[in-house]
Amino acid sequence: MFESTNQLPLHGIRVLDLSWIIAGPTSTRFLASMGAEVIKVGSARRPDPSTRGPAFQAYNQSKLYASLNISKPEGLELVKHLLSVSDVVIENFAAGVIERLGLGYEIVRGVNPDIIMVASSGTGHYGPHTDYVAYGSLLQHYTGWNSISGYPQREPVPGGLWADPWVGMELAMVTVAALNNRAQTGQGQYVDFSMAEALSACLPEAVLDYQMNDRVKEPMGNRDDWYAPHDVFHCAGSDRWVAIAVTNDEEWASLCRLIERPDLASDTRYADAEGRRRYQDRLGVAITEWTMQHEDHQAMALLQQVGVPAGPSQDILRVFKEEQLAESGYFSRVETRDGIIRDLPGLPWRFDGDRSPILTEAPELGQDNSFVYRELLGLTQEDLERMVADQIIY
Amino acid sequence: MTTDGLLPGVRVLDVGQGISGPYCGKILAQMGAEVIKVEPPDGDSARRMGPFPKNISHPEKSGLFLALNANKYGVTLDLSSPEGADSFRKLAATADIVIENPPPVFLEDLGLGYESLKAINPGIVFSSITPFGNRGPYKDYKATDLVLYHMSGHAHGLLGAVKDPDNDPPIRAGGHQAEFVGGLAAATATMMALYGKRMTGIGGRIDISSFEAMVTQLISGLANSAWGRPAPPRDIAKVEEAAIGGMVGAIGGILPCNDGYVAISPREDAQWERWLGVMGNPEWSTDDRYSTRDSRQKNSPSLWKLLSDWSVHYSKHEIASLGQEQRIPCFPVNTVLDLMSDEHLAHREFFVEIQHPAVGVLKYPGSAYKLSNSPLPLAARPAPLLGEHNSEILEGLR
Repeated sequence: MFESTNQLPLHGIRVLDLSWIIAGPTSTRFLASMGAEVIKVGSARRPDPSTRGPAFQAYNQSKLYASLNISKPEGLELVKHLLSVSDVVIENFAAGVIERLGLGYEIVRGVNPDIIMVASSGTGHYGPHTDYVAYGSLLQHYTGWNSISGYPQREPVPGGLWADPWVGMELAMVTVAALNNRAQTGQGQYVDFSMAEALSACLPEAVLDYQMNDRVKEPMGNRDDWYAPHDVFHCAGSDRWVAIAVTNDEEWASLCRLIERPDLASDTRYADAEGRRRYQDRLGVAITEWTMQHEDHQAMALLQQVGVPAGPSQDILRVFKEEQLAESGYFSRVETRDGIIRDLPGLPWRFDGDRSPILTEAPELGQDNSFVYRELLGLTQEDLERMVADQIIY
Repeated sequence: MTTDGLLPGVRVLDVGQGISGPYCGKILAQMGAEVIKVEPPDGDSARRMGPFPKNISHPEKSGLFLALNANKYGVTLDLSSPEGADSFRKLAATADIVIENPPPVFLEDLGLGYESLKAINPGIVFSSITPFGNRGPYKDYKATDLVLYHMSGHAHGLLGAVKDPDNDPPIRAGGHQAEFVGGLAAATATMMALYGKRMTGIGGRIDISSFEAMVTQLISGLANSAWGRPAPPRDIAKVEEAAIGGMVGAIGGILPCNDGYVAISPREDAQWERWLGVMGNPEWSTDDRYSTRDSRQKNSPSLWKLLSDWSVHYSKHEIASLGQEQRIPCFPVNTVLDLMSDEHLAHREFFVEIQHPAVGVLKYPGSAYKLSNSPLPLAARPAPLLGEHNSEILEGLR
């Protein structure tokens, strides 16, 4: 109690991370960087598909990584040993897989009654479509998410990257919520998480609009049901755009002054959002005459100076180079094992005091075998070597 | 087993307005915390945002407000008045957590910032959500969902590559996804701070940037940038690997059906074999151009034409069930109407019915998680009417 103001909030928590690919590892990245000891377990027999390429570096920052072949009986025993010394276990295999591996909640709870087991799958762990084969990009269609995203009167957009990162953060949130409960009641928990439901839960406006007005929401590109102008406008240069959202009459007046169009400001047809929505094509032409004379970041600065919400539409490389991120301390500067200094992604929050997150390079498979098996589980060096030779620690 | 959720006895003051702050409060409320929504006398700005029944604006009938504030209590306080500020301090003395999402009004500017609340409640957790955080050159900039979605790189990825980038701009997702992400990030950080407080007695001030929350959704892309990789091109002519529907590197995309669309991804060879079976093994299936994953990738435009010629004769649900029976990743492109009649979601009781005095009984999206030992009180109470709990909560303070 009252150890230090510098202690990260999840200090003292141990997480056994059986997850892979994107969503699960993203969740444990949040936990690890906020102080939990995350032991990622994987096997060369079935490598984490995300291992290829730099993405793995982002998803697995700040973790320990031990190799373990769960398909062998002795491997399974080692997992149970790890479960007995862990606070949380997280997995995101397809529904039913963890049970077939012999690690269903009943067994896990038998090993460690107070453990929090977080299980995430495409459509959750019971119900008629539990067995559906899912990828995040397809779930965005199933969940209705893509039915409201896109251009009107066109085929649906392919999806972007949304389901897995969102679920990663939400899994971290619900895990810590369960930890809070355990701190209060002493009880563990099984959390059945559905990726699909996580996305459908973010469409309340469309769900309620349907019930209130019998209306099935259609996609509307960058435009909005209420605000106008609300779109991206072409700036100087090829494929350069600034997003502008006018959310009240005051911002509209400021925008008109900035683009030197007092005639628009005084035109009663555009005096309220309803009128501006009706004539938004025409207003878009007038705004574009101004935006075309400015670089996108410059347009943002000028608009923001007069109090109009605006910002450039950027690709990921330009986001990476954003001065806002550089100067807000978002990145963590790390020398990676190839000897190059890189800016690795950080976290979207800052805690006061000296509670900076731990953001290290992602581990390599097996690099923490010695710590995990010798120090934590108390195996002898002989045992460890034999299990490596027998492809159990593998 | 308790039936009052994960956070019984946790008291939260939700001073947020609009979306990100109230969404953070909503998450805590559905976890079972006692969340007191503190509104200005004229109400949360979300009360003026749609959808509304018959499109008629009404402060008690905003679908957005009702969804974001279900399960909370509601009081009105004029925090700029000495009486309002005094009541707020008394409430804060009893609270574990305060959530704000300025602008327009920072609690700090009202003399109710973290330091002054800490003086009366040393362990308090104070979560402040702003578009860009309290640091960096954009810290005073305004943003909306549209602006955050575009600035953070998501709009480029959502649309994928197009034929004519200068006439086909990137687009945002529907709804308010970026603001929800800001709220989720805040709930995650707040939950962590609460846990830290339980362990050490120390709360603290947390600053959350919605922009950074959106950027953190794309950490894989940031890592690619850190390793010197270029951004994916927006011009389809510059995409090296042939891609269908933007899914570069994996056979997959959207097929037209007689009632909408289906999304499929039979990317592995074994999945592809089974997919051909679903289609009745058409003659072209033995064509060399489509015999391997690489060749299918390379010839995807002609392949997609063949698939589409077949798919238009069936409904999206027919194809999705046929495919899933063969363990092929495929799903109908659902509308909200489809969701509300989906048997799987119905079986899992995803939608939650809540009775509200002004709009009656409506079904709200529930939560993505089921807890074995702490069922969540998802329908404990409807969103509060403006000032509904003033006498119950504020009079007790005097």
